[in-house]
Amino acid sequence: MLVFVTRRIALFFPTLLLVSAICFFVIQLQPGSFTDRYLEDPRFSPETVARINAQLGLDRSPVEQYGRWIWGIVTRLDFGYSFFANRPVTTMIGERLAWTVVVAVVTLGFAWLVAIPLGIYTALKRNGVTDAVASFIGYVGLAVPDFLVALLLVALVLSYGGTNVGGLFSPRFIGEPWSWPKFVDLLNHLWIPVLAIGTAGIATVMRQMRANLLDVLHADYVRTARAKGLSERRVINRHAVRTAINPLVSMAGLQLPELINGTIIASIVLNLPTIGPLLFDSLLAKDQYVAMTLLLFASALLMVGNLLADLALAWVDPRIRYG
Amino acid sequence: MKYTFRSSTLTALALALVLALAGIAAAQDKTVAYPGLGLGEGSTGGTLTLALGDAPPRFFYYGEISQPIQYITQQMFDSLVEYDLETYDLVPALAASWDISDDGTVYTFYLREGVTWHDGTPFTAEDVVFTYDQIITNPEARAGDAAQFTFTVAGESRQVTFEALDDLTVRMTLPAASPTFLLQQRFFIMPKHVLLPYSVEGGAEPSEINDAWPTSVDPSEVVGTGPYRLGSYVPGQLVRLERNDDYWKVDAVGTRLPYFDRLELLIVPGTEAQTAQFLAGNLDQLNITGVQFPDFKSRELAGAGFSVIESPALFGSPPHLAFNFNAADPALAELFSQVEFRRAMEFAVDRMRVIDDVYNGLAELPGTPTAPVNAAFYEDTTGLMNMYDLEAAASALDALGLVDTSGNGVRNISATRDLEFTLTYGSDSAVFTDIATILQNDFAEIGVRVNLQGIQASQLLGTGLSGDYEAIVVALGNQPDPELRKPIWQPGGSLYYWHRATQPENPGDPPNFDVMADWELRIFDIFDQGSIEMDAEVRAENYREWQRLNAEYVPVIMIAKPGNVAAVYDTVGNFVYSLGVIPGYNPVPLYYRR
Repeated sequence: MLVFVTRRIALFFPTLLLVSAICFFVIQLQPGSFTDRYLEDPRFSPETVARINAQLGLDRSPVEQYGRWIWGIVTRLDFGYSFFANRPVTTMIGERLAWTVVVAVVTLGFAWLVAIPLGIYTALKRNGVTDAVASFIGYVGLAVPDFLVALLLVALVLSYGGTNVGGLFSPRFIGEPWSWPKFVDLLNHLWIPVLAIGTAGIATVMRQMRANLLDVLHADYVRTARAKGLSERRVINRHAVRTAINPLVSMAGLQLPELINGTIIASIVLNLPTIGPLLFDSLLAKDQYVAMTLLLFASALLMVGNLLADLALAWVDPRIRYG
Repeated sequence: MKYTFRSSTLTALALALVLALAGIAAAQDKTVAYPGLGLGEGSTGGTLTLALGDAPPRFFYYGEISQPIQYITQQMFDSLVEYDLETYDLVPALAASWDISDDGTVYTFYLREGVTWHDGTPFTAEDVVFTYDQIITNPEARAGDAAQFTFTVAGESRQVTFEALDDLTVRMTLPAASPTFLLQQRFFIMPKHVLLPYSVEGGAEPSEINDAWPTSVDPSEVVGTGPYRLGSYVPGQLVRLERNDDYWKVDAVGTRLPYFDRLELLIVPGTEAQTAQFLAGNLDQLNITGVQFPDFKSRELAGAGFSVIESPALFGSPPHLAFNFNAADPALAELFSQVEFRRAMEFAVDRMRVIDDVYNGLAELPGTPTAPVNAAFYEDTTGLMNMYDLEAAASALDALGLVDTSGNGVRNISATRDLEFTLTYGSDSAVFTDIATILQNDFAEIGVRVNLQGIQASQLLGTGLSGDYEAIVVALGNQPDPELRKPIWQPGGSLYYWHRATQPENPGDPPNFDVMADWELRIFDIFDQGSIEMDAEVRAENYREWQRLNAEYVPVIMIAKPGNVAAVYDTVGNFVYSLGVIPGYNPVPLYYRR
């Protein structure tokens, strides 16, 4: 087990290096430059742009820029700074990390809490009306992009005279100390992203759960369990679902990077103060170290999530052993 | 009845009188009234919520050219002079008055008395000199303007000098007279006592000026003299500004401005999200475009409680169609360089349809390129323009020998080449997308095939400057004086992107006169003269000639000048349209809650 974990962790670093190199050179291929944003202002002069390029190190060769950035990370955990904000990238991410985690955890939690019971139910009542309805909704949820659901929900709220359209709080609560009305205001805003982003997740997880359970329900050991005279509830809960849920554990691990890049468009449409829009803006503006750090962060989360999922799987499924 | 004044009452009265007199002497308030714009006296109090299109990357105006910073700075800082909201004349702001020497090279600004920074420190001439000398002319300041204060006199580069003559007098000495110097003095003045450590004078490296006031700064450190001070910043969500109770502007009856106690700038990127927030009542006012007009107007008529307000625009960006004189394809480059070709294509640009269908009528025929509302400089060139006439376009192209020889419905450049090019436009803007489609359809009618290429609207000018396009739709801002847009319109200028061959190889070198056409040489001279000619009449006449040349030789085809359109809730009084980012044009302190 320890050998397995060590080997996996050792593999992290070359993988991340490769990912970062590819990301960096793809960003370099993008047309335009960071200083394009200055062009139209009456204060613009070509001399200023040259000075700024020198300040930011953009006058060096791409290989040198990349090398210096990686060296900074390796030697002093310095992920560079944002050209745009003139601040270390890590503090900018830190500013938005809390809300990103909150939105992601609530959304994923909601999706799983709804999806798993629904998956079990539809598997047991296969081909019934509920199954048909749930499957239909599932397909629609998968097919409709989350940002469209978000826009539709906003339009719906507006048409009923609501004011909770976008953001996480009403303006008067932003930056105010926590209070019960503020918490209610948060819930009043949060349900839109949770529903919009969660719908697609529900469909995926529900369909996976349903398929797994259907496979298992016809397995020999389930028949044996019934033959032993166990109650139906016990058969389903202890024998069938217990086995059917294992593949979902690996799926959960893969959802960690969703924290950053899973919901960018919906976050922009709904104006959420999360990391997604930051990544989007930094890519557009060629604020390269912000974009690079976020992409690196996402790949690291993917690998960590994968490892955690494998470990969790070993823990819930006694048949799996690493060594 | 008999009154007896006790001595203490007398003392108190005397004291009150002395204090009142001292108050009058110390604070040299500016009375602001615009009856011509229909503005009246408002009442103090309440919270105004406006939209900020993006999160501010920092709070230091000279650290980054950025719309959110410009927007916030406008409310927190002042400049020496500002615009009259009605006439666009320059009127006193932090400078209560000024003198200009007869030869136009010495400007003496007499500063307003009794102005204080938000932390209570008195505002003095030292702050002005510091701002100009240590920040604006620091070439390393990313949003400074060193070039503005460097003059080339007899081939020699010389600097404007700044001196504080006493606490409230600043003298600026120019190496040569400059007709637009005063117009440029809308730079926001920064506090020396706070920013000194970031300046060279305070012992820092020149580039360290950019480190001032990151968004993580303590709000009380960001002090200005403006109508509002920084209250708090919630990253990515809200900038909260609090009323400056000691602001130096008062209304006609002496009520101190601004009227609103609090100004909240809600960070909402994107047109859709802003529209939703406005309709939900979370924003008091929103600048919109003609494209959104029908939707807003129908809601207004249905009693949504807000009004849609329109006015002709001076600022703002009219879109134009440009052909790349230096396109990578030599056949296209040759064609695009011909005046006759551009004039022929101008016949196929349906300006009225763009005005009616794209802007829903809330635009007007453009200047070339001065805004029609700019009385001082606008030359009506609509008579010189080729207005929409597809038959005329077709016969003009025929006359150029561009006929369809292959029989496929598309004209030919040569036996084997169709007349076909790519039109680059901003696909994330409804306006640009509609204009590009209209152009594509009409050009197809006259046998010219256009392939559309959508890019981010923010990348358009950068793409133009890189030369990597064939034809492009770009919108560049209008300013009150053409001198302010010299880099765009002077051949060889750093933004003269449609004919890049005129630009010098190294910035700062003389442009490439050899490739300029006669009309370009003339325009070059007009702009050079415009920078030094002091006679306003002569300047205006020169710039009028430039507009006629533009109309005649169409370096670019101006399409339309969109008007100002805003939606504002009826509970907001004294509304005057503002882009929010033009230094020295700020009506917000006059808004009040009805």
